[in-house]
Amino acid sequence: MADDEQPSDSSLLVIIVDTNPNQRYITEDPKVLTGCLDAVIAFANSHLMQKSRNQLAVIGCHFHKSEYLYPSPGKPLDVRQIDGQYELFTLVEKTIKMRLVNLVKSQPLDEKPGESLLAGALAMALCFIARMRREATPGLKTSSRILIVTGSSDTAAQYINYMNVFFTAQKQQVLIDVCSLDKHLSLLQQGCDITGGLYLKVPSLEGLLQYLLWVFLPEASERTKLVLPGRGRVDYRAACFCHRELLTIGYVCSVCLSVFCKFSPICTTCHTVFKIGGPLPIKPKKKRMKV
Amino acid sequence: MSESSSKSKSLNLNPAPTLQCKDLHEYLKSRSPQFLETLYNYPTICLAVYRELPELARHFVIRLLFVEQPVPQAVVTSWVSQTYAREQSKACEALSELSVWQEAPIPGGMPGWMLSQSFKKNLKVALLGGGRAWSMSMSLEPDGRARDVSFLDAYALERWECVLHYMVGSAQTEGISADAVRILLHAGLMTRDAEDGSAVITRAGFQFLLLSTAKQVWLFLQHYLQTAERRSLSAAECLAFLYQLSFSTLGKDYSTEGMSNNMLVFLQHLREFGLVYQRKRKAGRFYPTRLALNIANVRGDGGPEFSLQGAGAPSGYIIVETNYRVYAYTQTTLQVALLGLFTELVYRFPNLVVGVVTRESVRQALRGGITADQILHYLHQHAHPQMLKSETGGIRSTSLLPPTVVDQIRLWEDERNRFTYTEGVVYNQFLSQADFVVLRDYAKQQGVLTWQSERARTMVVTRASHDDVKKFWKRYSKTS
Repeated sequence: MADDEQPSDSSLLVIIVDTNPNQRYITEDPKVLTGCLDAVIAFANSHLMQKSRNQLAVIGCHFHKSEYLYPSPGKPLDVRQIDGQYELFTLVEKTIKMRLVNLVKSQPLDEKPGESLLAGALAMALCFIARMRREATPGLKTSSRILIVTGSSDTAAQYINYMNVFFTAQKQQVLIDVCSLDKHLSLLQQGCDITGGLYLKVPSLEGLLQYLLWVFLPEASERTKLVLPGRGRVDYRAACFCHRELLTIGYVCSVCLSVFCKFSPICTTCHTVFKIGGPLPIKPKKKRMKV
Repeated sequence: MSESSSKSKSLNLNPAPTLQCKDLHEYLKSRSPQFLETLYNYPTICLAVYRELPELARHFVIRLLFVEQPVPQAVVTSWVSQTYAREQSKACEALSELSVWQEAPIPGGMPGWMLSQSFKKNLKVALLGGGRAWSMSMSLEPDGRARDVSFLDAYALERWECVLHYMVGSAQTEGISADAVRILLHAGLMTRDAEDGSAVITRAGFQFLLLSTAKQVWLFLQHYLQTAERRSLSAAECLAFLYQLSFSTLGKDYSTEGMSNNMLVFLQHLREFGLVYQRKRKAGRFYPTRLALNIANVRGDGGPEFSLQGAGAPSGYIIVETNYRVYAYTQTTLQVALLGLFTELVYRFPNLVVGVVTRESVRQALRGGITADQILHYLHQHAHPQMLKSETGGIRSTSLLPPTVVDQIRLWEDERNRFTYTEGVVYNQFLSQADFVVLRDYAKQQGVLTWQSERARTMVVTRASHDDVKKFWKRYSKTS
């Protein structure tokens, strides 16, 4: 959580775009993806427009791998101005579109699309932020945040990875914002709550750009000043380590704090052997002698 | 009783007023709305103005950007939480001042805000594309002698230092044109010597030298634009071109094709100051340098200088120690001369100058019209990277300079400002002590008494209340 109230000199935004083809809104109408992508690009450019020192990275998250869409590794594209648009913005737009095409083309055809690798993409984003911090000019105040735009549904399969990433982000004072395009995502919402970011489930895809600009454009120091959607209630259920199901009550290893939905005599994470077999026997209450 | 109005000037002691460096916002504020309206026809200016706005104002604009009808003012107010109401009104004021938005009535009779049509249109163009390309970005075949970024940086630095060197009267007097001299004279940074007519640096000039490079360039160009208007160059056109440069990409070439004659003249001037690089006058292509790119970031005040540095080359060279010693790793005479303005130089080595900040040396600078803030700002912005690094480990202070030095320099400035001037009217020569006491008590009651002495039967009241006190005295003297 960013503790400093003074505005930073520059702010670094990493946008993670979920491009998995099995998202519901894409399977229903593939053209919507183009609209969403345009909105994300326009949003990315508005971020760059805020301050001249603002930095941007966009990561495309697919079901087989995650890849940087912007900035492109190696030499940047040679883009010249074609219309009234600021050259840098044109470069962002062209790079993202070109690299996304490459990413989609590289997907294995014989494989059935699985789950989006969001936790991996988040880790990539954190690495990128760490690198930018290391390379930054000393004395420059930079605030960083990550925005996830996804339409995937909630699964607990990556629960441990998610939690690792969330707490790393919290320690690094990186905000995680989540913009859900389709369903309510309780796991990612936990991440927002842990890191102090915002969570928003977009009611309709048509106004996506407006939602992004209104809610996610202000940086951390500005958010206290504006009236923004509140946290709401956060579902803090943990997923068990054995079946990845969300639990309200479960078994917790007393050594490594792993969560299980069923009792097992050996903890699968730290291999601790529990001596007591089965749940604790309920001791018959000693009845006090009535005087 | 007699009253003598002593009109003391409310000026400060410094005979030379401190140099004003307006940022883009203030510069535009001082211009007419019509001028602004023509400016907003250029997408680049809209982009620059947008970046200059206060942070809340930026969000107002972006939220209104895609709204086609007026939005009630009450709605805009509701966007900001109550505790920041002051910042909110400041943001609204800034937007009105620059005529980015206008008041527009809403059918219900409520007052509303509406973004200026041309501003909205052109900001959208800059952000999302569309419209015409800026004149200078015609397609060019690749340059056979393309220049890289480090070359451009070196070139820009050399050209700009040439101007600065000329100002301090160093040996290099070649390479600066009559136009540049005229601007320096016009800006009051230099003045013609009474005897031989040669240009000498003024106090304002020294203060100019202490500014960051980006600010220097911006101030210089402001004065250029003022003189440009007299030479039938359109200020709007020049400003638009400047911002086109500032939004171009470093290390890329741009075409001069389609530029008007006036603009070509302007380009030649910019070339002279190192804002653009051109191999030959008729080369047909030019490269903007970092100086031009930084016009848009004048606002970065207080921070260390990032302007004239490449990817990894640090520009800071000054280390300040808590014992008031200043070590400057520099070879240029200009930087040594600047440091000598407010330090006592002790040693000089081939690549290092050692000086001490003393009361005398600072007072010398203060007498020259330089303020403590300017000194501290200079030390701060040229701080050695080592100083920048040491800050993160220790106590978190607002400045990276040693707090003792900062405080002491400010104290030295304060000790010169022991007088505060207020305008007042003296009442003296009262006939009796009773009269004096009555009038004094009246003035005291009204809270307008500045000073009084019972023994000398003299009192001073503020200028604004003079009439009131006089009326009371007349009433009083009639009744008694």
